[in-house]
Amino acid sequence: MRDVYIIGTGIHPWMGFSEQVFADFAAVAVDGALKDANIEWQKIQAIMAGIFIYGGNAGHLSGQYLESIFGETGVPVVNVYNACATGSASIRMAYNSVAAGETDTALAFGADVSPKGFLTAKSDNAVQDRDVIRWKMGGMPNPIYWALECRKRMEKYDTTEEDLARVKVLMSEYGSKNPDARFKKAYTMEEVLNSVYVCDPLRLYEICPVSTGAAAVIVTADKELIAKADNPVKINATTMGSAIYGDPTIRISALSCPAVAEAPMLSESYSASRQAYEKAGVGPEDIDVLELPDNSSWHYLVYLETCGFCGEGEADKMLRDGETRIDGKLAVNPSGGFSSHGEALSAQALWQVIECASQLRGRCGERQVENPKVAMAQTYGLMGNSGTTILSV
Amino acid sequence: MENMANKVARIPNLVDWSTGEVRLMSAKCASCGTYFFPREHYQHRPGCSREGVENVLLPGKGKLASYTVQYYPCPAPFRTDKKITPYGIGLVEFEAEKIQITGIITETDLKSLKVGMEMETTVLDLYVNEEKQEVVTWAFKAVL
Ligand SMILES: [Zn+2]
Repeated sequence: MRDVYIIGTGIHPWMGFSEQVFADFAAVAVDGALKDANIEWQKIQAIMAGIFIYGGNAGHLSGQYLESIFGETGVPVVNVYNACATGSASIRMAYNSVAAGETDTALAFGADVSPKGFLTAKSDNAVQDRDVIRWKMGGMPNPIYWALECRKRMEKYDTTEEDLARVKVLMSEYGSKNPDARFKKAYTMEEVLNSVYVCDPLRLYEICPVSTGAAAVIVTADKELIAKADNPVKINATTMGSAIYGDPTIRISALSCPAVAEAPMLSESYSASRQAYEKAGVGPEDIDVLELPDNSSWHYLVYLETCGFCGEGEADKMLRDGETRIDGKLAVNPSGGFSSHGEALSAQALWQVIECASQLRGRCGERQVENPKVAMAQTYGLMGNSGTTILSV
Repeated sequence: MENMANKVARIPNLVDWSTGEVRLMSAKCASCGTYFFPREHYQHRPGCSREGVENVLLPGKGKLASYTVQYYPCPAPFRTDKKITPYGIGLVEFEAEKIQITGIITETDLKSLKVGMEMETTVLDLYVNEEKQEVVTWAFKAVL
């Protein structure tokens, strides 16, 4: 396998619902990535596109729609959906194509326009799609699942409501310094603890909403392109994991889970991160910057443990002791995280990779981590989907 | 048990009251021993031959492994003409079967919920359909 570098990244800033079409957002991100890499569109030899599931035929063929905007060149276009880890799947395919020598330069992108109102079931077949059951019979929007796990955690360890609020306070401090974030207000502990419960013990400010956003990454093994790029970043590993039998986590859309754990919690992310550590030849102790999926404050805590940055039940202490701050031992979510962005399904994993790359390239201004060498982007998706990307300079 | 004659589940094959007790409809794999709910959603152990999956009813009682309180109305396609919000959602453990199952909690004193308490499977009336039947879902209530 050849060494593969990120030479260009682009983002359309995260925002709320928009009447604009997803392809326009994608084009902004891809334009940004091409300019950053300082290359022409014709250099792209493969397009790995994240599917925008609410976009109908166009959204399912988002790669073709993007290609027609920039000019059709006949290169392979593959569209992929892995729920919230869709971006991980697209960058992994771009990496594999280049590393294997199939192509020299590939583009991964994703764009998502937040649907108006709530996310809900996409079919009406309860036998085939249990998601229909959880909506019609279960009365369970997504945050319910996180709240059930959060309560279990609070019963088992000393996690408090203050810890959950502390996550939001920290994320909002960073989000206020990120021009691409959707939410830029810095919150106090009091404000977070006074926000209403959505599903006890999780409060309104402790869960993330759905957003609109787009992100694009250009990877290459072309030595000339690497040489002329501004601070290229090496991809040490980009992996995907699925769940393991006996994982006790109640997965979103499920109506049941195992009562006896035979596998780690969030085993899909355990799998993805362990594959990445092995491939990259690094461990959690080598990581300087971590972007983790803080869909809720509970996720922030449990992901530090799932990915091996501390033992089970120890994340609260890391947070309280300031070890996860930008100036701490491990800078966690200097972007402001999902808490400051919200979810834009097919784009979010790429945005996490871009934040890691930008930190390594020293481009993050007020939220810049001091001189980082290794960064890790960790995703989490519905139904046992996860991806990990480890980058270095 | 209250009169169940005029009740119908909104989605079939999930909850049963034909035995005189409300019970969840699960399936057990004879080869790997795993219980499934809903019963069509297989979760076999890797390497299992997947032979001998049989429909079974879970016991009527379990214990509360976790819970939350939902403070805003669940959006469609959830449907009820009763005012149920805020409502509890429980994760109830059936110990021998090694499975935990979610469900709305009918208890209205939400402050009384505690992890570990004994829960009983029941039904929750959602709405009346065109045939004048009470459409229900499965639910849990505290055993007092
Ligand atoms: Zn089996």
